[in-house]
Amino acid sequence: MSIFARMYQGTTTFDFVGNRNKFFRVSGAMMLIAILSLVFLRLDLGVDFVGGTVVEAANPNGVSVDTLRSDLSGIGEAGARVQLTGGGDGIRVQTTELSEAALQRLVDTVAATAGVPAAEISSQEVGPTFGAQVAESAARALVIFLIVVTIFISIRFEWRMALTALAALVHDLLITAGLYSVTGLEVTPATVIAILTILGYSLYDTVVVFDKIEEQVDILGDRQTITGIVNLSMNQVLMRSVNTSLTSLLPVGSLLFVGSFLLGAATLREFALALFVGISAGTYSSIFFASPLLAIWKEQEEDWQRARRRAERRRGPADAGEPVADVPLQVAATAVAEDEPRPATVTGATPRPPKRRRRRR
Amino acid sequence: MNKRRALVSALVTMAVAWGLLGATLAAGATPRLGLDLQGGFAVRLVAPEGTDTDVLDKAVEIMRQRIEALGGVQEPEIAVAGDNAVEVQLPGVTDRDRALAAIGSTGDLSFRQVIQIGPLPGVSPVYAEFGLDPPGLDLDPIVSEGEGEDTTTTTTTAPPDEALVPTTPALTVAIDCSGGSPAGIDTAAVLPVETFDTVDPDTGLTLIDDPAADAWLLEPDSGLIYHVGPALLTGADLSGASAEFGGGSVGAGGWVVDPSFTGDGGEKFRCATGALASFNIADPRRRFAIVLDGEVVSAPVVAEGVGTEGLSPSAVTITIGGGDDQQGEAEDLATVLRYGALPATFETDRVEAVSASLGDDSLRAGLIAGVGGLILVGLALLLYYRALGLIAIAGLSVFGSLLLFLFSFLGETQGVTLTLAGVAGIVVSIGITSDSYIVYFERIKEEVRNGRSVRAAVDNGFRRAFRTILTADAVSLFGAILLFLLAVGAVKGFAVALGLATVIDVIVAALFTRFATAYLVRTRLGDGGRFSIRGAVGMEPATDPAGAEA
Repeated sequence: MSIFARMYQGTTTFDFVGNRNKFFRVSGAMMLIAILSLVFLRLDLGVDFVGGTVVEAANPNGVSVDTLRSDLSGIGEAGARVQLTGGGDGIRVQTTELSEAALQRLVDTVAATAGVPAAEISSQEVGPTFGAQVAESAARALVIFLIVVTIFISIRFEWRMALTALAALVHDLLITAGLYSVTGLEVTPATVIAILTILGYSLYDTVVVFDKIEEQVDILGDRQTITGIVNLSMNQVLMRSVNTSLTSLLPVGSLLFVGSFLLGAATLREFALALFVGISAGTYSSIFFASPLLAIWKEQEEDWQRARRRAERRRGPADAGEPVADVPLQVAATAVAEDEPRPATVTGATPRPPKRRRRRR
Repeated sequence: MNKRRALVSALVTMAVAWGLLGATLAAGATPRLGLDLQGGFAVRLVAPEGTDTDVLDKAVEIMRQRIEALGGVQEPEIAVAGDNAVEVQLPGVTDRDRALAAIGSTGDLSFRQVIQIGPLPGVSPVYAEFGLDPPGLDLDPIVSEGEGEDTTTTTTTAPPDEALVPTTPALTVAIDCSGGSPAGIDTAAVLPVETFDTVDPDTGLTLIDDPAADAWLLEPDSGLIYHVGPALLTGADLSGASAEFGGGSVGAGGWVVDPSFTGDGGEKFRCATGALASFNIADPRRRFAIVLDGEVVSAPVVAEGVGTEGLSPSAVTITIGGGDDQQGEAEDLATVLRYGALPATFETDRVEAVSASLGDDSLRAGLIAGVGGLILVGLALLLYYRALGLIAIAGLSVFGSLLLFLFSFLGETQGVTLTLAGVAGIVVSIGITSDSYIVYFERIKEEVRNGRSVRAAVDNGFRRAFRTILTADAVSLFGAILLFLLAVGAVKGFAVALGLATVIDVIVAALFTRFATAYLVRTRLGDGGRFSIRGAVGMEPATDPAGAEA
């Protein structure tokens, strides 16, 4: 079977945990770059956070940035930041906070230069306190959200999974924020929304993967090492992750595409870019970061250490942690039995499962 | 699961979703578009920390009244946001001057001496004072004494010597009460008087009212025009006011307004009334005008018997009268005194003007991105999951119909608006809902791999998949609810869209996907060829259809 057929079938045997150091190095390097960039380059915060004025207009006559800039310096706004948006169909001028009169002058100048009526000009003036409030409310929402989710995952799964999921979340947020810092893209309220979405998405994805791991633990008990179980789960859930990322990225990509070429979609584009990166990072982290992390952590637990020793006795130490080709077959045999009353021989022949969840069934 | 029952259930869900959407559209309800999608004007005003909620609520009410008075604003949205901010959204308004005028001056309340009262409703005293003929009236003597006066006191006509000169220095005497001294009147000092240039020549009203100078202002209720002096007190000198029944000089049976002053304000008031009391009871200059936003609300007379020592601020009442409709009048005046000039000054924190064409563009871009995203996702699912992809596409249409219905319905009944951030939320939720299909379909594949028949895999797989979907959607929903409760502005719109979409996702999974798949697996698409579910889950197409039963 080709690799794609095996992926389609969910019978791949990639060793996710065994190669963890490679993945951790990739994640670590990206996070390090992100942190360094955030510390040294900082983020370019938009007017909504630092206060200021933005004036936006259509650009039917294709006025150039230079023309605008020279017209603006004529009214003493030489320091304004002038950009073309929507592939040249729009004009965006950003300045510091202006007085009523100065704003009116700016609007009139832009209208005259672009050749559009003043009523067709969109503007935005933000005082310095607004951004602080937005940031504050977002941060408060974030903290409470994280607490609630940690509790939820701890109850639904277990606290180690909750902390691992949080680690994956930090990973994704850092990388997204890092991208904004490295590329110098402006951070707007849309970016904040996108980041909050990434948060939800990253957790969602991690939850789905953990759900799978938990299920395999229930099925296999401690007849497998946790490393083997995580590997098996990851291989089974791989196609789901790839597909979900694909179907999530398709509409986001559509936003990104439309946002880059259509006027009036600047917000959509800002939003889509952060999402695109965040979702990609979220998918990567739940497979290559959170799961190996969970595996090496749980490997330290006494029950799983015992399970490992037993597995080593059975198969020899060499391949105890490695996924073996016959593992899926073994699953197949047990899984069929799963919904029926478990045959006594199976329970009797294997050591008592370490997980209390087993008893619920 | 019974094939017939599955089909009926799936069809009922689909019919309900489409029916709801059809009914909504037939009723003419569409999602209520946010400002950023239809153009308009938004202002965020901030009061100082610790401003009372009552004050904010009252401010919202006053602003709403003003905006309604302005006319032509469809569905203004004014709401308290956070602890001390008010958000005003005026969809469709793109004229920033008009919009700012509606909410900008947050109740400029002042107490000013009346200098002269217009002879007739609608006729400004300014013409008489400058010796001009009022336009549109050819009364040669401007004043017909006693006529047209429906207020309580008589009005003296402008003295002839004043009417003949272009400015009237003798008319305005300086009242200086800033120090709160009882001897605040200085008859020797003369205030500079506004010239005729500051007046609209047609109406005789002051163009731009400056509380530091005199002005010709209208009392809208009676139509009378007052010439008033500079502000003696402002709203900040008042600490409150209440409407009461039965007090005051008219005795029992009358409605009065009882204002209370701050310590400083009280002294200013005592001084001002003392100064006014030096005029004859019939002299308009014994009146003080209560001016709100450039309009005279009321112009009571300082009662007879009050000496130049002024009124004690604690004992002052403004008598309205005993009639039934005077209760409302008294309460309105008390409201104006209490809140007219809010003790807190609002600061404009954020002003946003979205032109109508930008709004249209954004809406179009959002629609294109959303529909494009749906089509792409549908195609991807169809290619990958073959027959199962058909279910996903039908499910996405149910999902889309329900979402559109909910937004239309909530927009109509609850005033929920669909903003650009909301559109983004919906586009994101397409990803989340398609994940539900993927989780389920992958589960079916896995069950089959583990040796189940395709039919058993479809039915059993749903139970496990639904558990995963519930868990993952719960996390999304938590996020949406918290964002909605805690965040401000655009983030809220996003949270609404995400939350609604998540709930709908669960509903569609439980009431549509499950039944539709159960039905489909029992038809020819279940196991007939590469496109079938059997083909999609990776089993060899059964040569003998009966083989699937084994």
